[in-house]
Amino acid sequence: MKKRLNGILTLLLVFLVQLTFAQERTVTGTVVDDTGLPLPGVNIIIEGTNSGTQTDFDGRYSIRANANNVLVFTFVGYASEEIPVGGNSTINVTLDVDAAALDEVVVQGYRTSTKEKSNIASVTISSQSIENRPNANFVQTLSGQVAGLNISTSSGQPGAASNINLRGVTSINGNTQPLFIIDGIPVDEGNFRSLNPQDIASVSVLKDAGATAIYGNRGANGVIIIETRQGSFNAPLKLTATSILSFNTLQDADYDLMNSQEQLELTRTFGNGRGNNLTDAEIAEATTTEWLDVFFRTGITRNNTLSLSAGGDKSTAFTSLGFFETEGILKGSDLKRFNFRNNITGRSDNEKFNYGTSVSINYSKSNEPNSVGTGGINQNFVLGAYQSAPYISPDDYTSGAELVQGISFLNTPLFLMDKLMNFTRFDEELKILASANAGYKLTNDLSVNATLSSDYTNEIFTTADRSDSFNAILFGGGANPLAGFQAQQTTRIFTFNQVTSLNYNKNFGEHTLDAGVYAEYFKAHLRGFGYTADGIDLKTFSPGDGAGFVDDNSDNDFFADQANAIQRNAGLFSYFGQVDYDYATRYGITGTVRRDASYRFAESNKWGTFYSVAARWNISNEDFMDNSIFDVLKLRASYGTAGNQTISGSSYFSAPDLTRNFFGTGGGYAGQNSIFLSQIANNTLRWETVTQANVGIDFEVFDRRLRGSVDGYVKETTDLFQSTPISAINAVTLLNANTGTLSNTGVDVSLKYDVIRGGQKGFNMDVMFNGNYNKQELGDIPREDGELIGTGRNGGKLFEYYTIRYAGVNPANGNLLFLTADGDVTENPNADTDRVWLDKNIFPDYNGGFGLNMSYGGFFLNTQFNYVMGVDRYDFDLAGFQSPNNIAQFRNSRDIARAWTPDNRVTDIPALRATNLSAVGSDQYLRNADFLRLRFASFGYAVPADVIENIGISSLRVFANGENLFTLSEWRGFDAEALNNTSRIYPTPRIISVGVEFGL
Amino acid sequence: MKKVNLFYILSLLFVAVSCNDAIEIDQPGRLDEDAAFQTVDDLQAGLFGVYNRLDITPEIAFTSVFTDELAIGFDSGGQGLQDYGFTLNAGSITPSAIWTRSYAAINAANRLIRAADLITPEDGEQAEYNSILGQAYAIRAYQHFRLQSFFTTDLTDDSALGVIAVDFVPTIDQELLRNTNGEVFSLITADLDMAQSLITTQDDPIYISQDFVKALRARMAAYRENYAVAGPLAEELLNKYGLATQEEYEDIWVDESNAEIIFKLERTIGDYYDFQARAGLPGTGSPGRVGWAGAAFAFVGPGVDGSPYFEMGRSLFNLLDTADVRYEALVHPSSVVDPDYASGEGAETNDILVVDKYPGSEGRPLMNDLKVFRSAEMLLILAEARAAAGDINGESGSTASLIKRLRDARFDDDTALPVYANQTEAFGAILDERRIELAFEGHRYLDLKRMGERGNRGVLKDPVDCAFNNACSLPATDYRFTFPLPIVEFNANPGLREQQNPGY
Repeated sequence: MKKRLNGILTLLLVFLVQLTFAQERTVTGTVVDDTGLPLPGVNIIIEGTNSGTQTDFDGRYSIRANANNVLVFTFVGYASEEIPVGGNSTINVTLDVDAAALDEVVVQGYRTSTKEKSNIASVTISSQSIENRPNANFVQTLSGQVAGLNISTSSGQPGAASNINLRGVTSINGNTQPLFIIDGIPVDEGNFRSLNPQDIASVSVLKDAGATAIYGNRGANGVIIIETRQGSFNAPLKLTATSILSFNTLQDADYDLMNSQEQLELTRTFGNGRGNNLTDAEIAEATTTEWLDVFFRTGITRNNTLSLSAGGDKSTAFTSLGFFETEGILKGSDLKRFNFRNNITGRSDNEKFNYGTSVSINYSKSNEPNSVGTGGINQNFVLGAYQSAPYISPDDYTSGAELVQGISFLNTPLFLMDKLMNFTRFDEELKILASANAGYKLTNDLSVNATLSSDYTNEIFTTADRSDSFNAILFGGGANPLAGFQAQQTTRIFTFNQVTSLNYNKNFGEHTLDAGVYAEYFKAHLRGFGYTADGIDLKTFSPGDGAGFVDDNSDNDFFADQANAIQRNAGLFSYFGQVDYDYATRYGITGTVRRDASYRFAESNKWGTFYSVAARWNISNEDFMDNSIFDVLKLRASYGTAGNQTISGSSYFSAPDLTRNFFGTGGGYAGQNSIFLSQIANNTLRWETVTQANVGIDFEVFDRRLRGSVDGYVKETTDLFQSTPISAINAVTLLNANTGTLSNTGVDVSLKYDVIRGGQKGFNMDVMFNGNYNKQELGDIPREDGELIGTGRNGGKLFEYYTIRYAGVNPANGNLLFLTADGDVTENPNADTDRVWLDKNIFPDYNGGFGLNMSYGGFFLNTQFNYVMGVDRYDFDLAGFQSPNNIAQFRNSRDIARAWTPDNRVTDIPALRATNLSAVGSDQYLRNADFLRLRFASFGYAVPADVIENIGISSLRVFANGENLFTLSEWRGFDAEALNNTSRIYPTPRIISVGVEFGL
Repeated sequence: MKKVNLFYILSLLFVAVSCNDAIEIDQPGRLDEDAAFQTVDDLQAGLFGVYNRLDITPEIAFTSVFTDELAIGFDSGGQGLQDYGFTLNAGSITPSAIWTRSYAAINAANRLIRAADLITPEDGEQAEYNSILGQAYAIRAYQHFRLQSFFTTDLTDDSALGVIAVDFVPTIDQELLRNTNGEVFSLITADLDMAQSLITTQDDPIYISQDFVKALRARMAAYRENYAVAGPLAEELLNKYGLATQEEYEDIWVDESNAEIIFKLERTIGDYYDFQARAGLPGTGSPGRVGWAGAAFAFVGPGVDGSPYFEMGRSLFNLLDTADVRYEALVHPSSVVDPDYASGEGAETNDILVVDKYPGSEGRPLMNDLKVFRSAEMLLILAEARAAAGDINGESGSTASLIKRLRDARFDDDTALPVYANQTEAFGAILDERRIELAFEGHRYLDLKRMGERGNRGVLKDPVDCAFNNACSLPATDYRFTFPLPIVEFNANPGLREQQNPGY
């Protein structure tokens, strides 16, 4: 059979070859741009076939074609040319810059528009700014790239969620993160660790009400739309492979920690601790252990992606495979990920019907140490790394059982070494994102469209502790030698979203009308279950498996396992319409109205209505602007509302029915089952509404050398959902209610300037800047005095610090000095009435990024700096390093050597025995955390096509890049970026990568 | 074409029929108020929920740290240093914990009483119904009295400011001011009268009974120096319960004997309190912690290996006699006693005195029942009544004879009859005896507050225990023997600031 088939094929081939040979000849030529420079890499395809070639490094090409053929020359950014071969054997072509291609598509929510015709404030980032960066979570890559988008990451755990705020924080208690939509699928903004950033084609950030109102009660915090890569129609198969190797290291801190000699001397001075009983010689002999080196490491990341794209006349396909493996800098933390994606599009013969599907299957497994940020001396590895006494050595560790004999805080690092060996905690996640869209043109102007999408996430979370670990023995006691445990929690979330629409699009001469009516249905289902199995027999135990479980018995209740389960459902329903009108690409106006219903308010205020109006004036398209320096000048304005129904955290399922009083059942007194009050109702609940006004200008001047936009906005959230203090006689002291307003007023600026344009092979340099200034103001606080402790005051910042002011050290006795509310100095302030508002908070006033990009020939260098100003955070790590309470058991900063003594009276460190240490909370450790950071730098070389074409590959790039290379900041801790007042947290790493990318 | 139209119509249909299922969602497992309490059995389950709100761990932890029961332990990581240094202000954790949790218990009791009002017991259920209601009233009284003890300046002055009396289910917008002591005590008394008329059980170690009501009345009367009421009630209970034998006494503290127990709060494996420190609340070392009683002193277990971050104060230890059974009950055998603790190298660390009052039970380290009323306390209340009446010396019916009776039981011996020079000395002796007998049971702070001046006693630590912070003594007249109203209440109820207790 095989032979026969081969024979037929050979025959066929011979026939074909003869056929073509009979009519073909070689056509050659050169392709140049409008300045006469050769263009390498131009695609030349014989129309209606799949055969084609590319120009070489000097713009030359050669192709076999016959006289009837038409050659199609295409190149990104240039208008394509179609030239019949006829009798020519040489065809030289000049390609013009394509105005339409530069006029990129702008995503508008449920439809797209062109940059010129867009009425909204939005920024689109292309794949070039995202790909090949080593962040496990792509959101971190966006940091500093979009004016008004502030991204901060408070954990170095690979794949950790970031805090994402667009134009300030618009909610106190509820979700403050933008809505993320990937290929039409609304996804959980907190969880991108399983997604492959290399698949992303573009990210569009929609900022103003004109853009977000159409998302109704989910668009209040802005919308970020992610589109993944697609194949192109009539394109040959293209294969791209990328391989990146990264090294992750701890960033620097400036705490100036003591060595063993200094620390032991200090315990002696203090009169408490190990040095107290040691001789000078013994102290001199002590070795110093850098516990940072024991608990942190250089992590290695491997990132490999293979993608294939191709397209025929009726369909396109894009397929990618990714494998990503990273070790966190903190031992015991890592992430492994496998991704598969398949995007397909198709169209009917008459092109009236088109459809697309996008499916990605993502699996990740990450080891995640727990208790990070806590004071658990037997739990938090970061605490062990930072605070452990330097004169304790890893060699002191013998076994968990031995550590239990005479527990001492000094052994903190040994407890943690034990935990590192015996404790397992990992999260396995399967995430399937799938969407399908289809459209049919009923007439030339009228079409009907539908998008169905789903996000399926299944997470299995496993925690296990071996029975011979220190912690198991400690809590199990001698009575129970099998005190290890394993807990597993499975959570499955399925969301389904459907948008159905009828769209009308018509040109009447200079008038264009684009209108649509839509209905959207969203449903989400949570199912969770889990258990805790106490009792582990090590002979048969392996984390995640249950063979080693010890069964319950009549002797005691230790081995009684516990099970849990949860079911929650959530849903939204909306219908809305949008009308967009354009006159001659000079004037445009868009109006949107949307009605939304949320399951959260089913018993109070089910329906909400949101709207917006956005308009533009393309000034540069007016006749009077014909000879101006402006290539583009556009004025935009919008006003409108959007709602936030995610009023408690960011989960679809939290606070599902706060409008009702609930009782619960469960364990009560003396082991009896009981009924108890579990929720006090708020029956006036409603969504938060964000009203936003925006005025912006887009401009391009000096032959498009300087491009940019400036936007001013005022955003006001009303009906803020927040914790409101209530009297303790109600059994709780806080209740959530819709009270108060929060406004964010600010400016976004984006600029890019081509300093030197050297053309394809010459020297190019551009600089970019984007920045945001944002001012927050609280209002209508429901208190007589307009102040709500913990939230802020009328006219003040959100979460403004309210505490006692620290005023230094009393030279007379070394005690701490504070200021009373009236500004008088005192040693004994009133913990309640001497607190004052400090006009400081943790959110930045200014943030943004700037960078310099250069290229010459195949070489390129890109840099991006991020800056943040106006952030104040508590440095509780520093508080620990300077605290006398830590002398005997932990490690101190050399700062404490400056402590007050009768001979050293003027100092910034109180006496070690000051009598009012930590008597009241104060701003003593509140620190400025502004920073300037080289967030990203990349250097690389694209090997010229003529060098590599001989070895059969079409493109080859090698590059090296770095993240967080250096930071300038007054902040003394490991990571200035964290938006967090907790100490002993996991800092984000510095990453150095090398990579190679080649295409076939 | 036809096919596609069908697709369009179908999807519209799908939306039209299914929109309600996206919005009208009943989450599973929800229980509304009217469904929660429908029968007397439901009320009984509700009562177990109310009981679950009762806890005295905060006062046990706070009292021992703030007064002179403890010293910093060798395994201290800095826990409790503020309380240990007599720092007490409106931001302190204990006033907040006692204020909010007592009111939470009162709220739960009020809700149960309101729910009971709507239920008509069926035949044969009346007694159970009454008993449930009676216990709810008793809990409301008990928690109001707990608040009164800590937050009023002078328990004997009916015109002084008390706490907020709440005998109703409040609405969330209510901002109430303090009632007078007279008003609060009349509410408590009325509730106890109700309880007495409704409760059918005479005695029960872990549930509220007639004897609980009597014991609470006796303690309250003593606190208010109304000895004509306190004396007879205390005597009645003392006669009924007697004193424990040596063997029984040791078993009390591992929860294997109910001798002397009029009422204790049961703590058992898997209950709400079965934690070292319940997550989401203040951690180990804070009196606001919710968890095992013994974890107020040690991290993981009894004895030297249990990581004690507090140890017994030397001034208390020095009062103990090794022949006294209370020495066994209070000091763990693994303790390292250094007779030269006051001098010599490493004085602070060589002497390790591990508190053993809460060693654990049911196989769980540090978890023990919380003893609320014991007959020994009744004996000492009676001794107080005798002293107040001037009957301080003599072989019977006197303070001295009662102290002797207690010591005879504890030493299992015929001890000497004490002789007191005057009333002050008698009150002082009662305070000293209470200090030993009721150590680590949450009494000393309130005892010094109400009787310290009469007995000429205050907080007094051994110099070794307070060398590091010089906070060695605090007179009973100090303003800090009344709690400040907590900031957490001011945040919601700013008008109360005007009524803050003096000194804060």
